Amino acid sequence: MKKIHSIKFSRIILYIVLALGAIIMVLPFYWMIIGAFKTSAEINQFPPVWFPSSFNLDNFKFALETAPFATYFLNSLIVTFCCLICCTFTTILGAFAFSRLKFFGRDILFSLLLALMMVPFEMLIITNYRTIVSWNIHDTLFALIVPFTSSIFYTYILKNFFASIPESLYQAARIDGCSNWKYLWRIMVPIAKPALVTIILLNAIACWNSFLWPMIATNSPAVRTLPFGLYAFQTEGGALMERMMAAATLVVLPMILLFLFARKYIVNGVARGGLKG
Amino acid sequence: MKITIENLTKQFDNHLAVNNFSAQIESGQLVSLLGPSGCGKSTMLNMLSGILTPSQGKIWFDEDDVTDVAAEKRGVGLVFQNYALYPHMTVLENICFPLEIQRVPKAERIARAKEMAQLVHVEDLLDRLPKQMSGGQQQRVAIARALVKKPRLLLLDEPLSNLDARLRIEMREEIRRIQQSIGITTIFVTHDQEEAMSISDAIILMKQGVLQQMDKPQELYDQPKNCFVADFLGNPTINKLNAVYEGGRLLVEGMPCDIETSSVPASAPLYLSCRVESVLINQKPSSIKGTIIDTYVIGKENIANIQVGNSRVRAYIDSDSALRPTEEVTLSFKNKGVFLFDANSGERYI
Ligand SMILES: Nc1ncnc2c1ncn2[C@@H]1O[C@H](COP(=O)(O)OP(=O)(O)O)[C@@H](O)[C@H]1O
Ligand SMILES: [Mg+2]
Repeated sequence: MKKIHSIKFSRIILYIVLALGAIIMVLPFYWMIIGAFKTSAEINQFPPVWFPSSFNLDNFKFALETAPFATYFLNSLIVTFCCLICCTFTTILGAFAFSRLKFFGRDILFSLLLALMMVPFEMLIITNYRTIVSWNIHDTLFALIVPFTSSIFYTYILKNFFASIPESLYQAARIDGCSNWKYLWRIMVPIAKPALVTIILLNAIACWNSFLWPMIATNSPAVRTLPFGLYAFQTEGGALMERMMAAATLVVLPMILLFLFARKYIVNGVARGGLKG
Repeated sequence: MKITIENLTKQFDNHLAVNNFSAQIESGQLVSLLGPSGCGKSTMLNMLSGILTPSQGKIWFDEDDVTDVAAEKRGVGLVFQNYALYPHMTVLENICFPLEIQRVPKAERIARAKEMAQLVHVEDLLDRLPKQMSGGQQQRVAIARALVKKPRLLLLDEPLSNLDARLRIEMREEIRRIQQSIGITTIFVTHDQEEAMSISDAIILMKQGVLQQMDKPQELYDQPKNCFVADFLGNPTINKLNAVYEGGRLLVEGMPCDIETSSVPASAPLYLSCRVESVLINQKPSSIKGTIIDTYVIGKENIANIQVGNSRVRAYIDSDSALRPTEEVTLSFKNKGVFLFDANSGERYI
């Protein structure tokens, strides 16, 4: 009797802690979204307004009109999409090669690649910049895509996942007449779906939010992306909080949608592709 | 399809897993590859399927040398010990997969997969995922997947070892039924002699990568070629008594024995091995004596444990037998099921 009681009690504590954590996570987003609908009077009011009196869209309209937001948005979309396609493709092929194929110097090569991860991105900027200049793709969307068409880190994660898939599945597939290529796409990739979705999400967020490199690699507004737009907005739109909030909401919205959409796949992937024994 | 294996050898880094293995398997037969764990059975099977390349030797399917043919081109069916079903595919998708690879039109492959599912009795489970099925069901699906592309050779690697005892007996009969119904040449790997004895046309017994004997199950039991074969087959295991040939007669645990012997080297250590059912207690005059240690019942059999010299002997006794522990008995042997082996080389003399 006493035991059941204490279990219940610790449960309640656990839920309270989890709920607090959730609130702390969500609050800034809520504040941002709600702020985007407020009037300038409401935003500076104290005590703070938790529910705006009306959902006016003026701030969004302003944000979209001030900076060439539509262009930025489209550029961000193109860059993120291309990076995701290329990077996911090379990651899958690399992970397969390093986990299943046997070739001379495989493990040494992979250790070298891993060692490259120690080099911070800021240091690579100089060499990357020189490369895009010499390729003459400076100040184009290509400059924003080419350096991100592969990732050692994601390859490493996926390689480990691939390596955990039993060898006997590979042998079974070969007996069934399957080539390496088909085995990769029909067996390994579907099984690795949860890991892949995670990688794609992380990558999408990184691409979407990338700021430093686009700042350096591009000059003209025609090829700049959303994070820069947000930055420009601060100076051009004046320090009006409610408008900043609207712009930020516009920037973050696609990522939130993507996350909500992918959540189902993560859960499904784990439930369906889970390996037994 | 007839399988011919010629001097097949597989050397891993520092381990000889299969050593100079030659055998011929007749078309349509079910042959068991039997041996203790680690004796190279899976290695052997993987060389037949093409997953492993032999270090030496040749494999022939009928008249074709397939030694260098890749696994995906050999057209064999293989059932793995852990079934290796594709976890993200349903039963139907799993069975269809080999046909999909062969680009069989969709309607046809579904029809053929369903036909196979019926043969192995999983037609009601077509929409399940592997993890939603029991071991026995998964195994049936694995067999269906192996058979659906109509292979000329079916290989099964310890397919029953993950099942419980009752299901094991049921499934081995199932495997025999399926094999007979399509008449496919089948090689069945197991470490369980009873399993091998019960379903095979022939048994190949292996030890440390070397073929010991290939024969019909009953022949293997009645006429073992060496001591290992005699020890490996039979449940309860065969009795082993120390013997030596001296002064023109056989001494068993130091006691003279009237078994006919010829061409046995003098003074060499020997084993007199006798099947449990070949030991007679107090039935004939004999100078081999023993002491009853205990008696027990397994199922319908009554068995006595007898101390003879330094060895233990088991023998069947009548259920109404009055034999009691510490009682002294006389042992003699039937003609059948008694063998004499060299204790060192295992070579058989009688
Ligand atoms: N890939 C390998 N590398 C090195 N040794 C191996 C390999 N595969 C199997 N062996 C060794 O070969 C021997 C036979 O293995 P295996 O054929 O799997 O035995 P069984 O199936 O009869 O239990 C074992 O001693 C095992 O350790
Ligand atoms: Mg094995």
